[in-house]
Amino acid sequence: MSGVSPLARRIAWSLLTFAALSWLPLAVSEYHTHVLIISLYYVILAASWNLLAGYAGQFSLAHHTFAGIGAYTSALLSLYAGVPILIGIGAGVVVAAIVGYGLGTLCLRMRAIYLALATWAFAESIRLLVSVEYPITRGDLGLKTALLFGTAQPTPYYYLFLALTLASLLVIWRIVHSRVGAYLRAIRDDEEAATVMGLDTFKWKRAAFVISAAFAAVAGGFQGHYIGLLSPTPMKFNEMAMIIIMVIAGGFRTFSGPVLGAVFIEFLSEELRAWGEVRMVLFAVLVIVVARAYPAGLLGICVAVGRWLTRLMPALAPLLATKPPED
Amino acid sequence: MALLELEHVAAGYVEGIDILGDVTLRVEPGSITGVIGPNGAGKSTLLKTIFGFLHPRRGRITLGGHDINALAPYEVKRLGISYVPQGANIFPQLTVEENLQLGAWVIKQDRTRVAGRLESAYAAFPRLREKRRRRATTLSGGEAKMLSLAKELVTEPTLLLVDEPSAGLAPRIVEQVYAQLLAVREQGVTILLVDQNINKAVQVSSYLYMIERGEVRREGPRRDFADQLHAIVRDALLGA
Repeated sequence: MSGVSPLARRIAWSLLTFAALSWLPLAVSEYHTHVLIISLYYVILAASWNLLAGYAGQFSLAHHTFAGIGAYTSALLSLYAGVPILIGIGAGVVVAAIVGYGLGTLCLRMRAIYLALATWAFAESIRLLVSVEYPITRGDLGLKTALLFGTAQPTPYYYLFLALTLASLLVIWRIVHSRVGAYLRAIRDDEEAATVMGLDTFKWKRAAFVISAAFAAVAGGFQGHYIGLLSPTPMKFNEMAMIIIMVIAGGFRTFSGPVLGAVFIEFLSEELRAWGEVRMVLFAVLVIVVARAYPAGLLGICVAVGRWLTRLMPALAPLLATKPPED
Repeated sequence: MALLELEHVAAGYVEGIDILGDVTLRVEPGSITGVIGPNGAGKSTLLKTIFGFLHPRRGRITLGGHDINALAPYEVKRLGISYVPQGANIFPQLTVEENLQLGAWVIKQDRTRVAGRLESAYAAFPRLREKRRRRATTLSGGEAKMLSLAKELVTEPTLLLVDEPSAGLAPRIVEQVYAQLLAVREQGVTILLVDQNINKAVQVSSYLYMIERGEVRREGPRRDFADQLHAIVRDALLGA
């Protein structure tokens, strides 16, 4: 496919991936289709948080909150104002982007740990607000939402989420491999040097913040209208921890790492459901081991296995052509 | 008219403590103007204030007659001022070429023009062409310094602020760095050079300022400084 632009090639790959994965709901149980949908939901969250934290170096702890903002905005609009679901989700994305812009303006001049603390405080405030505003949000009792396809049967939602995920990844890939992606990495690596270069670092950090918030709201909005019930529970810190675990386990600062990590951790988490909260301890240990011993994560393991197979069977080389994990 | 003018500029990092107390200086177009002085005199602070990392508490900075006191670094850069800080100001994880491209991209998104600028950067620094595909982390100290200089030149600045270009480099490399600065001036770029290497600064500059504790103690054309180099170096070392 030489002579084809990388973007066109990427789009072709996305379509092929869609086709290749479209048989899955026919082959697995409804329950597993559901787990797949939730995995895809997490892929969007993990990949968009990785754009902000991994590529731009801004360690926000409010990513799950933006998913919640998207979900609640859409649910409340359709419940109280009778707004069509898709327009509601669009509104949720706009609200999340505006809130992200405001929060970014307040927090992004802070460095590392202060940014994490400020976004965490914001996340907790929003969660409490949703809990406490019982008359509107129905608090911890949960808010029933309209189902997007009028049914709880997961198959149509699987195709929706597969398309949504591939489209999100395509956009994120495009950003990462553009001029803007280079700016973000420059800011992450040495903010002062980026300033000397003439970048308005604050502006670009805020842009990354707004974009990642919007992605989270897309995922949250659609997920809300699939599950049919919203509660403040997924706005707890546990949810943010899951996103971080997925990104670190998969391969921080790589493009495909968060995708692998999200699917792997979500399935593992479902398999270990009987363990309850103990899972978090297990995941924490996993993250420490990966961060300490193998920062390249699952993606790094896949690449290493691919190389090993190539050495073993050189004939496989074109099939397994692997690039080193992208920075 | 001077290209850059500072009038009674005061600046500092912490409230109540001025690092620059009262600095007045002029940089003539097409010249190399040197600023020398002992450690802690405020030389780097001077450049940071011009580039917009700090803003003057008192006084005025003008570029071509326009006030640039309140501008942020990216705005100053857009006016054609480039800043080469101490040490190597490069992105080690990017390749040499990516470093150069990034420098040019920020200012101009005209592909052919950027390509042309990269070509002339490679012509000026052949070592960088040899290593264009390598990550910048593999460069030697001298090469890294060349890259941080080249990275600024691709943006076609009118005024280059250079901070301690010889710090931490081997003597042979130091010669090359100053030769490059002279070559850059030949291309019509004005340079404001801040340096502890008094001998070298006096050699390449046409006009010099000596600052101490944030104030100008002495100024004059190269000749004046060259004649009294011994006395100046002694004063600077003793901080007298």
